[in-house]
Amino acid sequence: MSATIGGAARYVGASVHRVEDARVLTGRGRYVDDLHLPGTVHAAFLRSPYAHARINGIDTTAAKALEGVVAVYTHEDLAAGGVYPMGVPEGPPDYKLPTYTALCSDKALVIGDPVAVVVAESRYVAEDGLQLIEVDYEPLDAVATFEQATAEGAPIVWDGIGTNVMYREDIAVGDVAAAFAEADTVIRRTLVSPRMTNTPMEPRGGVCEYDAGRDELTYYVATQAPQLLRMFVSGLIQHSPTKMRVLGPGDIGGSFGQKVACFKEDVVVCWAAKQLKRPVKWIEDRVENLSVGGQAREETMEAAFAVKSDGTIIGIDVHMKMDHGAYPAVPFPAAVFTTLVRVMLPSYLRTPSYRFETTIYATNKGQYVPYRGPWAAETLVRERMIHEIAKELGIEMADVYRANAITLDEQPTKMTTGPTLEGMTVANVIERALEMADVPGFRAEQEKARKEGRHLGLGFSTFIEAAPGPADYGEITGLGAGRDPAVARLEPDGKVTVITAQVPHGQGHETTLAQIAADELGVKFEDVRIEHSDSRTVPFTLIGTGGSRSATMGSGAALVASRALKGKILEIGSGLLEVAPDDLEIVDSVVRPKGVPDRGMPLGQVAQVAYFMPPVGMEGGLEALDAFAQPPGGWVASTHVCWVEVDVETGEVTIPRYLVVEDCGTMINPAIVDGQVRGGTAQGIGIALLEETVYSDEGQLLTTTFMDYLMPTAAEIPHIEIEHMEFEPLAEVNYRGVGEGGTIGAPAAVANAVGDALGVSVDRLPLSPARVLELVDANQS
Amino acid sequence: MEVRVKVNGVDRSAVAEPRRTLSDFLRHDLELTGTHVGCEHGACGACTVIVDGEPVRSCLMLAVQASGSEITTIEGLMGADGSLHPVQEAFRDAHGFQCGFCTPGFLMTTVSFLDENPSPSDEEIREAISGNICRCTGYGSIVAGVQLAVERRKEVGA
Repeated sequence: MSATIGGAARYVGASVHRVEDARVLTGRGRYVDDLHLPGTVHAAFLRSPYAHARINGIDTTAAKALEGVVAVYTHEDLAAGGVYPMGVPEGPPDYKLPTYTALCSDKALVIGDPVAVVVAESRYVAEDGLQLIEVDYEPLDAVATFEQATAEGAPIVWDGIGTNVMYREDIAVGDVAAAFAEADTVIRRTLVSPRMTNTPMEPRGGVCEYDAGRDELTYYVATQAPQLLRMFVSGLIQHSPTKMRVLGPGDIGGSFGQKVACFKEDVVVCWAAKQLKRPVKWIEDRVENLSVGGQAREETMEAAFAVKSDGTIIGIDVHMKMDHGAYPAVPFPAAVFTTLVRVMLPSYLRTPSYRFETTIYATNKGQYVPYRGPWAAETLVRERMIHEIAKELGIEMADVYRANAITLDEQPTKMTTGPTLEGMTVANVIERALEMADVPGFRAEQEKARKEGRHLGLGFSTFIEAAPGPADYGEITGLGAGRDPAVARLEPDGKVTVITAQVPHGQGHETTLAQIAADELGVKFEDVRIEHSDSRTVPFTLIGTGGSRSATMGSGAALVASRALKGKILEIGSGLLEVAPDDLEIVDSVVRPKGVPDRGMPLGQVAQVAYFMPPVGMEGGLEALDAFAQPPGGWVASTHVCWVEVDVETGEVTIPRYLVVEDCGTMINPAIVDGQVRGGTAQGIGIALLEETVYSDEGQLLTTTFMDYLMPTAAEIPHIEIEHMEFEPLAEVNYRGVGEGGTIGAPAAVANAVGDALGVSVDRLPLSPARVLELVDANQS
Repeated sequence: MEVRVKVNGVDRSAVAEPRRTLSDFLRHDLELTGTHVGCEHGACGACTVIVDGEPVRSCLMLAVQASGSEITTIEGLMGADGSLHPVQEAFRDAHGFQCGFCTPGFLMTTVSFLDENPSPSDEEIREAISGNICRCTGYGSIVAGVQLAVERRKEVGA
């Protein structure tokens, strides 16, 4: 499991203690609400209690008069202050892109829509101020479902657009009609993924400070993408991006895709700081987070699979309907996510004929944001359908896998939708999972248990993930990994700083990137410091961390920047030691002739020469910027296996065993990889069994607390076994992303296991006890 | 009104309105920001501190209710010499956490639990921490951290 980059590997491959733990375990992390800037005032938003309402007037007089209130702003103030309306700047042709104002102008479109903001000396007073604002709302009928969205005479979410259908697309590959005509069997199911929300433990928030003398804004914010936020917010409030700095506070309490957008509140907070010339802090509470922090995945898939009698899938036809809520999240049109689903759905299957139809609807619900594996619907559909195919044909999922999965010796080849498959090891991963799962053994146990009145079930779910995938995956989806930059610097004391474009929010980049740089530069792990998340110092990339790209791209960037720095160090060392650079090495922070341990110069000494007496003709300092280009391959393959027992009296589902087999290439830090896999899988189990953002048919949000929006605890999540596989690498940088896979794989594995236990088709998640009992009843009737 | 407490062995006081929560008082008046607030309705456990020996959700307690109490927060777990508490050490060695936001709550819950039950079963461990939500780890590494702390405590015969 050790890597072979840059000579002898010492740190890569080892479960080195996390650098981050020294602070997070002792209460010395620094999250955005921990910042206490002098003179800070606190913002609280007045939010619409209606899903859809016209706003006929707002009276802020009493709120403004309250002692301790510094300012109250509505849309009129923002408009007068030069704040532009916001919206998604670009989408596919015919994609409807509404623009909207940061505070509601004439209408509120969702429960929790911000109508006004009160800024006060304390958060408590700001909330008092909210109570004193009088809003003249005229409630309107709301759209809460797909069906309502297109019903005769339906209310329209976006008046200017005139329809609730925001996008339609119908794309086919091969001869789909012929495939369905040729099929021995056609399996049809309608599968429903519930609406859910990312729910990082730290809600959204930011503090913006304005330096009037320099006309500079500094926004400390929990975000995955500081540069993106800087570009959007500065543009919207008409402030020079050069004079705007966006940075993380040091630590971010999770995100899972939520904190990647430019939110309405970001715009208001930064604009208010500039007006008031005082730091403005906004920290949302959990009710706000569950209402308007961002939601995801409400998708219905009408699927038909054309199958031969041996289980070969010859045609796929899917219509995906997505509910994107009211506001498209800046800057991601929801079509980005449906495109990813469309491209990824055929995945590892050889299936030549494929049609995918998309309809995206607007409703009066929370905005759609990326959530850990935003394309996961592709796995839910494919793997649920493979389970149904196996059941229909009286064979095992294993047989369907073996009939359809592209093997290593068939590669390089193309996925049905075009991306190049190379080094994609799904067939090997499936075989290992089957070996460990012992399906025949389980069937015997299942039958025996059934005679005792117990319902056991076994489910599989297999997927491949572009983590980050090859370059043509980026061209086809429009979401390529491209290049990732990094800076490496030898400091005057001989220690190393690496500046990464990644924006860690739990992944442990300060540890993994230091492992890579330390190995490449021949220095101690403890002597490498990782700097990140500051738009002023980090080389520009629009997206920081996201899309499972950091393992390859962030690590690759740290490697190439360290290598470039090493070249510079050896050049100076060559002059000092009078040995050709190629004959030098760095070992234990000493530059020395290769294999001559007693004739060297410590890095600190080389740094002093570089900084304080640089040789004539050489620039001072020792710093290197380099960018890493996407390597070939980049596919992660994984099979999840879930064993369940269903209590048909109570509807409770327990998971006695759970197995993840995966190939993510070389592991930089196995303990961190395992943490990502288990954490992602736990979220996927939550999706399968518990989590659902529920709106009433009137658009009223019913899940506003953790008493209603249920997430898994230690009592629900079993021990998750992990089997790592690693094959011959295609490229030097063979680390691939594992952050999203668990959440992608688990929902179908659990659903298939429950379906297997009860002998039913699980068409809707989550499998709450009530829904399981409905399935039990359906099976008995 | 004046709220006086002993936090991590140090007498502290500040003026707080009667409605101020203990979590806000600790975080913003005493600047002990290690205690985190995840839900403000007592459901996630991130804000757990120990008040007079009992684990308490500091978002559900008012500062004035804690007046006169002895409080231990995450900042008080380390030894005077800066050494980690055995539970902190075990969590580090087990790679217990990721983003760190729920971490202080899990630590305070675990420390308090192991004081009550020094040799719990795995099931008891899962039950004990099931009032705390972690969104990152899937709990496996946290359970492993608690188990490690238990084993080490047994080894030294404490």
